[in-house]
Amino acid sequence: MKLADRYNRVNLLTALIVLLITGLIYYVVIHFIFTEKLDRDLTVEEDEIKQYVATYNKLPLPASFLDQQVHYKLLNRGIKESRIFKNTTFFNVKENESEPGRSLVTTLSQGNNLYEVNITKSRLEAEGLVRIILLITLGVTCLLLLSLILINRLFLKRLWKPFYSILDQMKAFNLVKMSDIELNKTEVDEFQELNSSAAQMATSVRQDYKELRNFTDNASHEMMTPLAVINSKLDTLLQAGPITEKQGVLMEDIYNAINRLTRLNQSLLLLTKIENNLLSDVQVVDFREVITEKCRQFQEILNRENIVLSVDLQPCEIEMSRYLADILLNNLLGNAIKYNKTNGYISIILKADSIEITNSGKNFALTEQHFERFFKSASSEGMGLGLAIIKQICALYNLSIRYSFPGGNHCFTLSINRQVS
Amino acid sequence: MKILIVEDERPLLESMLTYFSDVGNICEFASSYTLASEKINLYNYDCILLDLGLPDGEGLNLLKELKKLKKSDGVLIISARHSLDDKLTGLDLGADDYLVKPFHLSELKARVTAIVRRKKFDGNNVITFNEITVDITNMETSVNNHPITLTKKEYDLLIYFLSNKGKVVTKNAIAEHLWGDEMDISDDFDFIYTHIKNLRKKIIEAGANDYMQSVYGIGYKFASL
Repeated sequence: MKLADRYNRVNLLTALIVLLITGLIYYVVIHFIFTEKLDRDLTVEEDEIKQYVATYNKLPLPASFLDQQVHYKLLNRGIKESRIFKNTTFFNVKENESEPGRSLVTTLSQGNNLYEVNITKSRLEAEGLVRIILLITLGVTCLLLLSLILINRLFLKRLWKPFYSILDQMKAFNLVKMSDIELNKTEVDEFQELNSSAAQMATSVRQDYKELRNFTDNASHEMMTPLAVINSKLDTLLQAGPITEKQGVLMEDIYNAINRLTRLNQSLLLLTKIENNLLSDVQVVDFREVITEKCRQFQEILNRENIVLSVDLQPCEIEMSRYLADILLNNLLGNAIKYNKTNGYISIILKADSIEITNSGKNFALTEQHFERFFKSASSEGMGLGLAIIKQICALYNLSIRYSFPGGNHCFTLSINRQVS
Repeated sequence: MKILIVEDERPLLESMLTYFSDVGNICEFASSYTLASEKINLYNYDCILLDLGLPDGEGLNLLKELKKLKKSDGVLIISARHSLDDKLTGLDLGADDYLVKPFHLSELKARVTAIVRRKKFDGNNVITFNEITVDITNMETSVNNHPITLTKKEYDLLIYFLSNKGKVVTKNAIAEHLWGDEMDISDDFDFIYTHIKNLRKKIIEAGANDYMQSVYGIGYKFASL
């Protein structure tokens, strides 16, 4: 639930409850005041009748006015005196209809007779007033709620705009692309603070990331010279004189280790280079040409492993670094050969917007982990950087890579997102 | 040939000096930019091996100096950076080749020899080793004046051996020379064995001596008997 919605809900609910309670209290109080006034009027009338009886020693004529009616009734002996106010109906003669009324029923003794005096007044006016007041209250309530909703809808949305803008930017923040966080101007202190914190965080993250990459870059480069020394010393040692077979085996192991370390270093350097987008030879690469060339290069190995290669190449051009295109295909095809089996097959299907490489292989599917750096399965002889490099190159040029495992075969599909690039 | 090695890493420099100090080669060295600059001003070299990362100056500037002096010394750049830009800049400034550390001395030798051969080209670009003759221009090989047909890989292999004659060349170095990056996918050296076997057979069948010796499984040596 959105913050604004949540706030709105509480806000509206509170307003509704408070207004309803206020309306109720209004109604009750006003009703009470009016009844009180009517009762006072009725008492005044009663006093007048009592005075009349005291003065003239007879009952006044039962009178019927527009808003007041007086009736007398002779009571039997033995009934106690009483005096009560009650709500009744008032028959309006003029309008010829019943209206709500208020009566004072009291007893009055005149001579030996005891009379019941019933004074009734119309309550219509008072009721009308109360109703109007209630309507006004309800109207105001609705108006208030409506305006609250509108304010929330329109104003809050605008108020939160800087927040959503910064949120969108944080979502889109991409370390690799080194995108900047643009700050929208806002007058709200909280948002200003949020903006500056986000910008600060982005800067420091970028800085850290840059340092990390520089570190990898420098460390890898610095390692190259000692490696060169070791290699050259071995070469020199080899020339120095007769060596025994045992020594030869030892030296070969050292050579192989140096070889691996060198490749590892080069792969790391390549990764940083791709991440930094430092490859300047971007051009329109004809993939049909590159794949044909690669197939020719790998032919010897394919023949030896007895792997059948089938290619279906349609024209496909991608704007990217030629060097990386080479590495991309080298890795993809290299994997397809390395993790193949003897008498297996490889099929390459190149379409205008996709490259699909399928190869037979050992019967287990790759997982997401295989795309991570330095991850390798137990049987793998590589360094675990091949797929990471493929992934990185794809990310740089907006190619989406998909892996599937149809019927025990490994299939890599690269889709080219034309509209973006 | 006369070679100047510009390298500040002492152990590496020594290895290179040892490897290049054959009969007929003159090797000089400079371990700083200043020294190198002095030397190129004073003398002419067939090839200069130039390390880019010098403590007192940018190696690439030496190339500019050479250009200013209108010298045509061959230059091979040695760099710790596998950088396309550096490579292109270097080649633009007149360098002949670019080698990335770490490298095999045999590879270095092969490249330097190729540069010197190109520089000294005088219409007669032929390598002769006893009864074997290789015409670089036409890529033709002959034994006792009888042409033999070699595949591209066998030809490259022969040139590589001839550049490093008398030296032990490791299988690692050969693999890297012949296959470069692709070799990543297959680290066993059966490939090399096949090519070497074929080359050897062709040369011997054409009537030459067997100059190729296997050195304890680690590599091969091409040398006069």
